[in-house]
Amino acid sequence: MGESTKANIRSHCVGTTAVVYASDYLNKLTGERIEHECRKQLDSGARALVIDFSDTELVNSIGVSILLGIIDVAEKNGAVVVFSDVNNDTVQLFEMLGLMRHVVLAKNEQEAISNLSGQSQAMGH
Amino acid sequence: MSQNRHEQEQQILGRVKRDEFIGRAGELERLVSHANQKESSGLLVLAKPFAGLSELLRQTFDSVFPEETVVPIYFELPSGQTTVVSAAIEFLNTFLLQYVAHRRREPDLCHASLTLNDLQELAPTTDSEWISALVAAYNQHRFDDDDQALVRFCLNAVRRVPGDVRPFVMFNATELGNYDDDQVPFVSEIVRALAATRSPYVLAGLRREVLDAVQSAHADLRSLVLMKLEALGVEDSRALVGSIARRHEVPTNEEARDLLTQQLEGSPYFITTFIQAAADKRLALDSYFACERLYVDELMGGKVYRQLAAELENIAPEPNTRSALIRVLCEAVPEGKRTVSAVSWRQRLKLSGVVTEKLLRLLHVHELINWNGETITLDGGSTVWRDFLRARFRLDALREPRALVVAELMAAALRRAPQTVARYFRRANSLSLLELLAQFNTQTVPRKLFQFDEFAALYKGATQEEIAVGLETDADHFRLPQVFHAASGISFSSALRSFGEESTVVAHAFAGATYTEPDEVVWLVAKAESKLAANVELVEKWFGLLEGVARQSGFVRTQLWLISNEGFSAEACELLRARGAFGSSRQQLDLLSNLLSPAGVTLATATDEDEFSLVIPMGEDNELLAALTVEQLARRLEFTPEAINQIKTAVVEACINAAEHSLSPDRKIYQRFRVESDKLVITISSRGVLPPGVGEEGNNTPNADEHLTGTRRGWGLKLIKTLMDEVEFERVDEGTRLRMTKYLRRTQTAKKQQ
Repeated sequence: MGESTKANIRSHCVGTTAVVYASDYLNKLTGERIEHECRKQLDSGARALVIDFSDTELVNSIGVSILLGIIDVAEKNGAVVVFSDVNNDTVQLFEMLGLMRHVVLAKNEQEAISNLSGQSQAMGH
Repeated sequence: MSQNRHEQEQQILGRVKRDEFIGRAGELERLVSHANQKESSGLLVLAKPFAGLSELLRQTFDSVFPEETVVPIYFELPSGQTTVVSAAIEFLNTFLLQYVAHRRREPDLCHASLTLNDLQELAPTTDSEWISALVAAYNQHRFDDDDQALVRFCLNAVRRVPGDVRPFVMFNATELGNYDDDQVPFVSEIVRALAATRSPYVLAGLRREVLDAVQSAHADLRSLVLMKLEALGVEDSRALVGSIARRHEVPTNEEARDLLTQQLEGSPYFITTFIQAAADKRLALDSYFACERLYVDELMGGKVYRQLAAELENIAPEPNTRSALIRVLCEAVPEGKRTVSAVSWRQRLKLSGVVTEKLLRLLHVHELINWNGETITLDGGSTVWRDFLRARFRLDALREPRALVVAELMAAALRRAPQTVARYFRRANSLSLLELLAQFNTQTVPRKLFQFDEFAALYKGATQEEIAVGLETDADHFRLPQVFHAASGISFSSALRSFGEESTVVAHAFAGATYTEPDEVVWLVAKAESKLAANVELVEKWFGLLEGVARQSGFVRTQLWLISNEGFSAEACELLRARGAFGSSRQQLDLLSNLLSPAGVTLATATDEDEFSLVIPMGEDNELLAALTVEQLARRLEFTPEAINQIKTAVVEACINAAEHSLSPDRKIYQRFRVESDKLVITISSRGVLPPGVGEEGNNTPNADEHLTGTRRGWGLKLIKTLMDEVEFERVDEGTRLRMTKYLRRTQTAKKQQ
């Protein structure tokens, strides 16, 4: 039951990095789905989370507050969070809400993964 | 009632047209059906004061009049100072007038002023013999010295109607209290005469009087059918306000209709009188301010004043007694419920025992006090009555300047208006909880609807459809009890007021199918409006309050059920489980409600071609519809894509805010978009009650650090202020309206002009 209810969130893993795709509108409902997926990936041993916003057109403040919750949980698990492919409007919104201080941005998913793998190698993992 | 009958019906005694006679369809049908009974039987109508009894009986008259064999007779005891004998003669005259009007099929005759001799002449041939005999007998009786015999003769005139025609007498005895005659036992004469008519009849009056009157006349109550006439319900009251306002072309709006419905307490009389007064003065009733200004005018010298003053004069005709009475009533009013002894009243009023008793009886009958023969409770009367009395007290007893009284009355009315409506919204909100409990009725439901942690673990982030499918296949069910009595928690303990006026319920129930003592259980339910999940401290506090009520009330077996909009923290869930209490979120409550008892977008018409209105139901993702609409409008104005996105985000936030903050009765968000040459003005509102603090100016800078430290909600308003050029809260009658403006930047405007 737990799996099937959140089936709409796409995700995959590249090594210890989990890539989770946000939907077109990030609100309470879709935010909670992402949160659930991220928690699941962290519980499964992911050391980095890439949240990809390539499909995301609109984000509301509840969605942002859930993203902050994800960052919080990731930090407690010692995992890094990268947001990829965030459009300018959403970046502006994140800036307004001070979210940018807590997250790294990448142009796209590939850049995020390659940055994370570079970091990982540098740290000797 | 057939369609044909409806077509034949015309307004004869009714003061309003049938389609404008609102909220009494059931009562009217019952009375008409009673009129058509073949056997003699009495219907006793017990009416609350100002509940519209007179109009109901008048409408019944009009409905029955087209019948061939049933002759409706409607008589209302005169309200002025008159004698029992005069009233009885008046009855005889009214009876013959309406009888002849019916037999001649000339309804207009009912309004004519005719003598008995005139009526004798007008009587159809088939009736002329018995009517002539009746008039002749009356002329003999009227010169006798026996008042009681004359009264009896007049009241029994109906019995002379020949057998093929059935008179249907409706006797409105609302003013019976004014006919206290030692010589003639009027009540007994009326009851006996009606019982002797050999056809159905109605005896109607004030509920605290008419039943006692029948009992005192030693009538057989078992042969009488009772019908209660209460104040109109909220929906009917609102419909009545709307209908009368339309008829009189008085402009109103939703807010004013809500206020009038609540303030005038569902009284058809006050509602009608009040709106007529607005029409007479050509006033609009489209704000709390307009309503309260007229209300104060009416209390100080309008039709409402005259009606209440006349009532007071009827109760206490002697001016000194009246003044003393106002003083006694008012000096007790500010302290709310207070019980005093009848003896102390007698001393203060300086009246004899008999006179005091009569006065108290009249006040009790008119429901202005509660009097049980020994003690008096001074919490009776409508809001209108209490306001009227207070004004009279200040003017007449305290001799305060009229201008001061008017100003302070107006200020008090304006202060009270939002509270009155808010109380109604809260009550309506809690009613759904009461209704929900009433529907439990031993049904089985998924246990997870009462266990927030389990529900959240499975369904957080799931769609409604997914949850519905999940619950349908959930095998872990729980049988709800059968609730046999549910009431607001405040009725049990004022300590529960801390949850809000109407947010707790105490429900007595049986847990199993058998009504045995071990199965008896009391559910203590509390609901709190909160944007955050309830934590352990809060849950502990709720437990303390609810368990205190259980101890104080002597409840043996209880079940606590806490409801918090956003559910409970993990620690709070553990506590709930450890104490055997249930905990649900708003979402679980809604799902339970849907399970126990088996909306779209409205585009409103805009009045201006540059103005657009959109009404959306509060709910999942509907704010996107508003965002898409505003996007199209912003594009027309050639806002930059960046600005368009800012506007969309602001609209989304405003919609979320409106949905989260109000106890909205209609669960709708009203939006208005005004396109001007250099700006887009967006107004977003919802009807309901705003919690304290919402809409007030605060820190405008959103800050993610607050979020990381736990304050993860409440950024919407701050965000809107950052995204839009102008944001203002407009104080409106119901809650707050958010108005936001986005200007086209100068470069954009110039580009557009090129």
